[in-house]
Amino acid sequence: MRRAIGGLFGVALAVALSAGTGLAQGRPLSGFGRQDLTFGPLIPGIATTVSRLDAANAGQFELRGTRFAEVQLELTLPAALVETGGASLPLLFSAGDGGYSTDPDIASAQSFDPRVPLITTLSNNGRCYIFLGGTAVPGGQQRAGTYSATITVTFSYTGV
Amino acid sequence: MKKITLSSVTAGTMLAALALAPAKAEAQSASISATATVATALNVNNVRDLGFGTVIPGFNRTILATDATSGHFQIVGGANAEVAVSFSSLPGVLTGPGADLALSLTANHNVTDAAGVGTGFVPAGGVTTRLDTSTGELHVYMGGTLIVPAGQVAGLYSGTITLDAAYTGN
Repeated sequence: MRRAIGGLFGVALAVALSAGTGLAQGRPLSGFGRQDLTFGPLIPGIATTVSRLDAANAGQFELRGTRFAEVQLELTLPAALVETGGASLPLLFSAGDGGYSTDPDIASAQSFDPRVPLITTLSNNGRCYIFLGGTAVPGGQQRAGTYSATITVTFSYTGV
Repeated sequence: MKKITLSSVTAGTMLAALALAPAKAEAQSASISATATVATALNVNNVRDLGFGTVIPGFNRTILATDATSGHFQIVGGANAEVAVSFSSLPGVLTGPGADLALSLTANHNVTDAAGVGTGFVPAGGVTTRLDTSTGELHVYMGGTLIVPAGQVAGLYSGTITLDAAYTGN
């Protein structure tokens, strides 16, 4: 019985030591928007596409967490931009409009379909960069004004 | 004794692994905005007709784009938007009670109303240029030379110039 208690004490000590190491490697996952997706001035009746490779206009997110950890992310994509007066302007996202990379260089990003969840691995410094293009389709009688919408990325560790 | 020792190592290893691996935690999120500005519809206004005034048979008459009686169109649209300007009606003659009067036209354009001063272009070829970066305006001034033969029948001679403007999307 006394030996058994001694064994349990040994386990508790091992956990305490490992937890110290885990704090260094098991960073909480966080993320933020680096850049808005900007379509700029639009002409009524003329669709405008922003490429995911457009460094100046593509939407950009950065995720930070444990190096080499696997994460799942999902984008919530609006169907339309909305003007303050209530007018809406359709948005389209297609299979090649998403990009992801462990490097902030947009040109090196791999393509993915932003309409479906993505599972990827953080870099050796715990980073993942997400890039997003899309197409705005103003109607021929689209009301002049400023339109906007919110794009959200939701992410979590997969536990792998 | 041996059994207890093995159990301790196994449990310790498992817990240590749990501490090292990233836990599958509650999902986090971050947001950005998508934005666009829709330009106003393109409008073209006739500010002033091209007037040659009273001409005398045997004397040709030239009106410069900078003259007070030059033709003047004003185009208004989205700031800095590129537009293609062309003419769907560009008369080569004026018609009236007598023989047609031969007409050749010239044009200048400017993003500000500069009394006809601007960049010249050949009307038949049109021009692609940008509207003013702040006002969204473009002014087109029309001049021309009217050939008036001796013996021309007196009366009013006229023609219609029609300017078309369209966004290029650039």
